[in-house]
Amino acid sequence: MVDTILKVGLGSCGIAAGALDVYNHLGEELRDEEHNFQLAQTSCIGLCFAEPIVEVHNSEGRTVYGNVDIKFADKIIDGISKGELPSENRLLEEDNTVKYLKRQVKFALKNCGIIDPESIDEYIGREGYKALKKAVTSMTGDEIIAVMKESGLKGRGGAGFLTGQKWDFLRKAKKDEKYLVCNADEGDPGAFMDRAILEGDPHNVIEGMAIAAFTTGASEGYIYCRAEYPLAIKRLVKAISDAEEMNFLGENILGTDFSFHLHIKEGAGAFVCGEETALIASIEGGRGMPHLRPPFPAESGIHNLPTNINNVETYANVSNIIYNGAESFNIYKSGDSYGTKVFALAGKVKNVGLVEVPMGLTIREVVEEIGGGSSTGRKLKAVQMGGPAGGCIPESLFDTPITYEAINATGAIMGSGGMIVMDETSCMVDVARYFLQFTQQESCGKCTFCRIGTKRMLEILSRITEGAGTMEDLDLLESLAEHVGKTSLCGLGQLAPNPVKTTIKYFRSEYLAHIEDKKCPAGVCRSLIEIKINPEKCTGCTACVRVCPVNAISGERKQPHIIDQDKCTKCGMCIEKCRFDAIDRF
Amino acid sequence: MSDVVVKINDKDVKIPEGSTILDAARKAGFSIPTLCSAEGLEPFTSCFICAVKVEGGRGNLVPSCATKVRDGMSVTVESDEINASRKMCVNLMVSDHCGDCLPPCETACPASIDIKGFLALIAERKPEEAAALIREKAPFPGSLGRICPRPCEAECRRTRVDDPVSICFMKRFASDCEIEKYGVPQFSEKLPPTGKKVAVIGAGPSGMTAAYFLNQQGHDVTVFEKNSKSGGMLRYGIPFYRLPDSALASEMDAIENAGVTVKYNTEIGKDIKVTELEKEYDALMIAIGAQGASNMRVEGEDLDGVYSGIEYLGNVANSDYPDLGNKVVIVGGGNTAIDASRTALRSGADVTILYRRTRAEMPANNFEIEDALEEGVKIEFLNAPVAVRRENGKLFVKCIKMELGESDASGRRRPVPVEGSEYEIEVSAVISAIGQKVLPEAVAELGIEITKWGTVAVDENTFMTTRAGIFSAGDCQTGADMAVRAVGNARKAAVSINQYLSGEEVTGEEVLFNSQMGPLDKVPESLFEGVESAERIKMPVIDHKVRTTSFNEIEKGFDYEEAVKEAERCLECGCDKADDCKLREYATEYGADQNMFGGDRRGYSKDTTRSDITMETGKCISCGSCVRACAEIKGLNVLSFVNRGFQTRMTVPFGRSLVESSCDGCGECVKVCPTAAIMGVKKEL
Repeated sequence: MVDTILKVGLGSCGIAAGALDVYNHLGEELRDEEHNFQLAQTSCIGLCFAEPIVEVHNSEGRTVYGNVDIKFADKIIDGISKGELPSENRLLEEDNTVKYLKRQVKFALKNCGIIDPESIDEYIGREGYKALKKAVTSMTGDEIIAVMKESGLKGRGGAGFLTGQKWDFLRKAKKDEKYLVCNADEGDPGAFMDRAILEGDPHNVIEGMAIAAFTTGASEGYIYCRAEYPLAIKRLVKAISDAEEMNFLGENILGTDFSFHLHIKEGAGAFVCGEETALIASIEGGRGMPHLRPPFPAESGIHNLPTNINNVETYANVSNIIYNGAESFNIYKSGDSYGTKVFALAGKVKNVGLVEVPMGLTIREVVEEIGGGSSTGRKLKAVQMGGPAGGCIPESLFDTPITYEAINATGAIMGSGGMIVMDETSCMVDVARYFLQFTQQESCGKCTFCRIGTKRMLEILSRITEGAGTMEDLDLLESLAEHVGKTSLCGLGQLAPNPVKTTIKYFRSEYLAHIEDKKCPAGVCRSLIEIKINPEKCTGCTACVRVCPVNAISGERKQPHIIDQDKCTKCGMCIEKCRFDAIDRF
Repeated sequence: MSDVVVKINDKDVKIPEGSTILDAARKAGFSIPTLCSAEGLEPFTSCFICAVKVEGGRGNLVPSCATKVRDGMSVTVESDEINASRKMCVNLMVSDHCGDCLPPCETACPASIDIKGFLALIAERKPEEAAALIREKAPFPGSLGRICPRPCEAECRRTRVDDPVSICFMKRFASDCEIEKYGVPQFSEKLPPTGKKVAVIGAGPSGMTAAYFLNQQGHDVTVFEKNSKSGGMLRYGIPFYRLPDSALASEMDAIENAGVTVKYNTEIGKDIKVTELEKEYDALMIAIGAQGASNMRVEGEDLDGVYSGIEYLGNVANSDYPDLGNKVVIVGGGNTAIDASRTALRSGADVTILYRRTRAEMPANNFEIEDALEEGVKIEFLNAPVAVRRENGKLFVKCIKMELGESDASGRRRPVPVEGSEYEIEVSAVISAIGQKVLPEAVAELGIEITKWGTVAVDENTFMTTRAGIFSAGDCQTGADMAVRAVGNARKAAVSINQYLSGEEVTGEEVLFNSQMGPLDKVPESLFEGVESAERIKMPVIDHKVRTTSFNEIEKGFDYEEAVKEAERCLECGCDKADDCKLREYATEYGADQNMFGGDRRGYSKDTTRSDITMETGKCISCGSCVRACAEIKGLNVLSFVNRGFQTRMTVPFGRSLVESSCDGCGECVKVCPTAAIMGVKKEL
């Protein structure tokens, strides 16, 4: 009798870090040798920074190992046979990442990293599809909507519209055919909440959609998932098929007269297709271009039929709310925001990964306690929340609680959950330029202000980062930001200026340094920095000469070297290579 | 459907449910600009120029073309905020517009002559009509067609293929044909008398232009001229070998014959007081030119034998030839210096020009310098006089050599004397032609503002001085400048004077927005694909040997057939839809500035593969009307949105051309295009 299970995290993050090699290696070991363990897969547990992750489950409980390579995997096997597991590389224990879990509350991520996402049985084993059963057999649509409204769940895609309310619109739409859509077109740079949920717990999303379909009277559903998420799609395909087989989807679900058919629509990677009217156009086979609302999708959506669109995380919260009641969710409350929110924590923090936190936790708590603080030892400067539509919140406002209202008040937005932490080496003008470049390229090109306005803003930001900006440019930039935000059709254009607006609001001095002093305080903007060798410290070891990709460094061996500024591309490789701290940015 | 009541800028409007805010606003009498909405198409909301503000919203502006009215809705359709938004909208659009409204030659012409138009008339063998078309902007095609420094030709796009079209001389050709056919210049019928009297001071190009246009408007015009003949600097500053008396006189006389009274030998401040004119006339036009010569500021410049260039040329024009002797030195590098040198040459002298900079900096027209050198004038560059002295009846000029130093305010490098390089030459006469100045004292009595340069201060749009009813244009307003500018500005002043006399608000000549593709050297090479090279016409001249022995006109004028061929060299730049373009209309209305951002602009490309429809995506504003017209009206889907972001285009997808598409030439796209991005091809005659 085998009492030990080895679980390998096979989310995209784990696979990218080499988890599949570890998994295959363990599989070969099992095939070739006698071993006293079972091998299983799960998905991302959120500790992306420590992938590949292998968990050992045995009679003593659960031991989580991070940064597991093949060699260490052998060590674990060895430990299992010896009855003494390795003591190093452990995660989630008192001394390292304990706070990481302590402050989190997992609803949407409840099964992620726990179950095998490809096993419907494991999902069912954790009370899966019980909420659906409860809904279709014992609740009316109105009751479900009442519970949903009571829970306070708001759209997790970013707009924050009350989900129960939205469902109610569709429920009340007087049409025989209605559509339900799951928006899985996660496109923000640095965001991977939806991917992790779909890869880690696809049934939870399917169950949430089925409940929504039952409630609203929708008979057809789409999961609009970007094609860049092949693993999520693969697992969804299997999950839908398994759910159909067990009659959680399809005709006469669970013996009732409720039928719901779920399809996957792969998006071709246009960011704007995350906007609901563009997404509908894309599902219909058209170019993903938003149109004016009203009419809202609840009135006229796919093929002009009533349609409800929610984000992945929103649906992932439904099963818990319906099964355990509204209070299980709204017990977490801050201001007018309820429940939890998943964030993709990225940037200069130690614990980069996926977290789910209750509303009301402060940014500082997320960054310092869950994120483990600065990964570089440098002072943290800001978090960028909400992706390209969001804004930069300065360190001075890190005590802002995470609620829709409080985050909006800073000028950023809750968004879908991107949270990028920046330290002193991030140039805020460059950050604004980066996001503007993204939105400019991703604009569908329909509206004048978005198509040309963001381009002009980007050009001004580029000028400023290149040291060619003027104070007039800054005025024009601010004016454009106002106009573009105020006079664009969809969220993409309306929110595109946010990174610019917030960085100007909180980091104006950095803009002025670029414009007036022709300096980049963070040392990022290449046109404004010089990399120089300190002759006092340089030993002439020639390490920098060898690493310089453009042969800009010269000097006699054992003599101080110099950098030819005309050739130097400011890549900074020499700085990293120098062992004598002799090279610096100026 | 029932009616709803909405408030549009506080005005209640009753309108059927389902109407848009745009409908309601129009019903309320407001005009809202719109570019992407077209009759027969569903609203699309791409241009956003029609944006308005709905009360109670999130503060955003919404597209009025598609937003449906609701009962009790309150909408602001006109406000500072909305105007600013519309202005920004147009600024953004024109910043990404690769096209010329007007041909660059016309833009460059200070008199805004419809060059493309008159060349086309010549090509169509209607040179008399060409003369009439020129006269709509400038009444002296014969004179300007001989002496103009041709800023138009400097911008002629043909230069990128071979040589510029010979625009200037074609004006003269048109005039020659007109004179040959009718004997005298032909004016259009003038408007009935208005009973208003205008006094014009000065019968030069500016004064006579204003007189011409005001006379055509039916006003009673009297010109006061101190000389015995009209023409101003055209007569007294330009030698007859360039502009013969007869050619100038015929154009000036025609204006008098059309009803303008010119009082000759009547000098303001001497023969008549300007304040009297002011009392007697309803409006006053000051066109006194720049009659004063600038001093050389060297010792001895008052000595006998030292003349000013304009004084000398004026004397010669009056057939008073001063005896210059056999060795004349001219000081200066402008056209007056060149004219004086060639005139002196014709009186038999050996002529040398002293110019303190180099040939590259010489302000005179290159072709004039060439002619002067060809005729035997010598030019000493980097030389300047420092003193003139007379000793024992002989005249000596002490000179110094110069070198070029730092650039000055004009961008030209400043000449710096080379120490110790002085030398002296003996001469028979010195003509100083280093500049002209305005002598404003006679008109200053009116109490109008005079600038620190001595010129008459005017409003730049209306040419009205600081006193209502008193206007000014020409050299006295600009300082010495080219005749064509004096003509253009005087016409604009005449428009203002007409407005003033009609009791209208004085706003000056309407200036329409003018998109420009870029300077000559920057326009894309693709613009010239398929243009065949054709040699520029050469002006026939009188025999070189007899040229310098008389004041006969050097240039003989074009041969008819050759002129027609030359006119055909015109590339017909500019936009065929310039007069019917909604983008231009709004750009004008909102005072758009094409260079506000100075960023990337879409490139030029033209699909001429079909014979009936052409597409020029550089002029597209991406409103999508063509795409929708093709899809919604025709069901063909020939065009579609291609690319994303700033690179979004409406075009035939997959890189195909129109002829490779399923386009059947129905022209629905042409009808809805608000600009000239899609055009029906004009039927060949």
